[in-house]
Amino acid sequence: MFKMSEYSFVAGLLSAALALLCYAIAFASVRVAHRRTALAPAGARVAAVGGGPSITFVTRGPSVLATYGTLIAWLTFVFLGASLVFRTIAVGHGPFANMYEFSVAFAWGVTGVYLYFERRYHQRVLGLIALPIALALLLYATTIPSVSEPLVPALQNNLLLTVHVAVAIVAYGTFSVAFAAALLHLVQPEAGRRGLPRPELLDEISYRSVVIGFPFLTLTIVLGAVWADVAWGSYWSWDPKETASLVTWLIYGAYLHARVVRGWRGSRAAWLLVLGFAATLFTYFGNLFFGGLHSYSGLD
Amino acid sequence: MRETVRGESFPVRPEPADDLEGGLTLSPGELLERTWHVFISMRTGLALILGVAVLGLIGTVLVQAPAGLAADPAAYRAWLDSVRPKYGGWTGIFDALGFFSMFGSIWFRGLVALLMTSVVACSANRAPQLWRQATRPPLELSPSVFDRAALGATLDGGGSAELTAERIVAALRRRRYRVVTVVRDDRVHVYADRFRWTPFGTVIAHLSLVLLLAGVVIGTSFGFRDAGFAAPIGSRVEVGHGTGLALEATAFTDTYDPVTGAPSDYASEVVLYRNGARVAAQTVRVNQPLRFEGISFYQSFFGPAAALRVADAGGTTLLDQGVPLLYASDDGSERIGQFTLADQGLRVLVVATASGEQSATIRPGQVQVEVYPVDSQSPLGVRVIDQGRPASVGPLTVTFVRELEFTGLIVAHDPGQALVWSGAIALMLGVCLVFFFPNRRIWAQVARREGSGNVRIGALVRHDVAFQSEFQHLVDDLRRDLAGRAAH
Ligand code: HEM
Repeated sequence: MFKMSEYSFVAGLLSAALALLCYAIAFASVRVAHRRTALAPAGARVAAVGGGPSITFVTRGPSVLATYGTLIAWLTFVFLGASLVFRTIAVGHGPFANMYEFSVAFAWGVTGVYLYFERRYHQRVLGLIALPIALALLLYATTIPSVSEPLVPALQNNLLLTVHVAVAIVAYGTFSVAFAAALLHLVQPEAGRRGLPRPELLDEISYRSVVIGFPFLTLTIVLGAVWADVAWGSYWSWDPKETASLVTWLIYGAYLHARVVRGWRGSRAAWLLVLGFAATLFTYFGNLFFGGLHSYSGLD
Repeated sequence: MRETVRGESFPVRPEPADDLEGGLTLSPGELLERTWHVFISMRTGLALILGVAVLGLIGTVLVQAPAGLAADPAAYRAWLDSVRPKYGGWTGIFDALGFFSMFGSIWFRGLVALLMTSVVACSANRAPQLWRQATRPPLELSPSVFDRAALGATLDGGGSAELTAERIVAALRRRRYRVVTVVRDDRVHVYADRFRWTPFGTVIAHLSLVLLLAGVVIGTSFGFRDAGFAAPIGSRVEVGHGTGLALEATAFTDTYDPVTGAPSDYASEVVLYRNGARVAAQTVRVNQPLRFEGISFYQSFFGPAAALRVADAGGTTLLDQGVPLLYASDDGSERIGQFTLADQGLRVLVVATASGEQSATIRPGQVQVEVYPVDSQSPLGVRVIDQGRPASVGPLTVTFVRELEFTGLIVAHDPGQALVWSGAIALMLGVCLVFFFPNRRIWAQVARREGSGNVRIGALVRHDVAFQSEFQHLVDDLRRDLAGRAAH
């Protein structure tokens, strides 16, 4: 089982890279095509495609590639899921005991949430940001020994911690997608740019992801508090990781409220999402540099 | 046939005007009203939320002083010196600002209090509107409102206005909308909504925060948490804090992984007494606390103890129990325990060599006993004694009976906890209601004149692609349906 888990991990890593490659080439050729069609004289354009809309013809190759990209991204999702399941069976507990396990879970969450949003909104360009995040997490995971240490007593609360982490990766996944959409929003002018989704659509995607992510982050924090209460007799002790997750929660809370005010749409809201994602990463990697009750990174 | 589905536009709520310059002569009433407007302003709300986030971030990044340290100025100064190399010249500034105890600081507490005030004010301001929206929604919109609606469509009705309206009502009911129709002389008005109560989720979410915080305040004001409760095996120890309880640990086991040597289990057999009567017993493990009448006992630490028998010069036994050697000497080579004999006015230190360490003065099977008057640092007697042999140390006769272990527990009582968990559940509930069961409202009206463009449908929504496509589907269905009827 342990070997199976590692094979699936490697398969997940490679397929994530391949999916990203497909997306990148597809996207690059669409942009080149846009530029070409923009430059070509109108007559030539019509001739080239036999009167049909030029973009269909020019992008047929790339869009097939993009479809493969999506298929491969689904494979990544399946491989990483399998890796987590095999590992859970092999070591007897959910993926919460060290940064290796948690990074694979996070990457799985990002991929899954991205694919969910792709199905709903058909914006593969989001994958150009979401997949690198997943890939970076997987590469990071390769730097951590994947050996399984026995659980220290405080972590021996299998059900609660597994749910805690499962809920957290959904939240982190949605925040990654929200970040991807926010970034795309920020790199283009207000009026939108060809080849990138409309700003309003990106705004909507961000909002939808936070709408899912915020309740999940709330539940993550509540479950963390329940665990702390069971293990240490205090539901909250201002441990740095707890506090960082509270800060993250507040930033996304601020984002939701900012949208109630019209003026905070668009790039100001997008900046809040970038900040929120920075806070998410800070919370995630926090235990590497601030110790505390969560200092079980498996690195020391 | 003309049909349009427009993109959304957001109904703007007027921001309170900022005319503080003109406000030099404020009556108390005006002042109150201005304050109110400040607290219900979303700008204030955002500033407060982000302000708390910034302080939280500072509290995360800066090392926080251990709780309770501030009560001991000398220890606090020593702690400050220990972090000085890290923060240099900023140390004094951070200290003066209270940043080393961020979460107890006036800044943090004040800002959280302001945030809660704002949360309550916002809810109080919004709740009546939500109530009106849910109970007395406007059933008829004037045609001009349809022109400005966020989502809108114009269709051609088939047959009479009543029949057309019936089709619309049926289509909405199929989508599980609650529908109300009003017939006026020249038109039929249709109002439909789903989840009309869920907007109260925001009110629930907001008030749950207040509930939660009330629980925190009650817990810190009326509860206690003793993180250093040490029970030597076989000795009954008073729990204190007015509980009237005594605890005896009858056994402690620590188990380690045979391969890596990492700890795998700590377990204490614990019996709880009140007035000498046994009231509870349990094996306490990490993650398996003993809970009794709102007081919880958690496995936390363990260490060596020394069973001592102490008698006075007349041979009366003053103490016969285990003394936990709670403290380690600075270099880690010695374990030290202490107890006081209040009636005799004496303080006794017990020193043993830590396990794995060598010492020329205190060998295995020996402890050093030091006896002091409670208010003095000069000893009345210091002596290394052998196990099992009574020896006089100062005015006392001390027997080192044997080595023991003690189990260290956290004893906590938090009367605010029920409120905290209720608040947390209410928060989840409120947030899920708002986000996963979004309120939807659709208006339609059918003019009595037959023919093109006599049906109008509209919705005032926030930016919401899911609803936009639901609306679009509804319009498409109706268009097909009504066109089909017109053809018959
Ligand atoms: C950390 C504190 C807060 C939390 C957790 C919280 C929670 C929420 C949630 C979950 C929503 C629904 C958001 C949405 O529909 O997108 C909401 C809406 C809202 N909140 Fe808060 N809130 C907080 C602080 C505040 C403050 C300080 C104010 C006042 C300035 C405020 C005013 C509002 C308003 C006006 C709405 C929209 C209500 C409506 O559309 O009916 N909130 N809040």
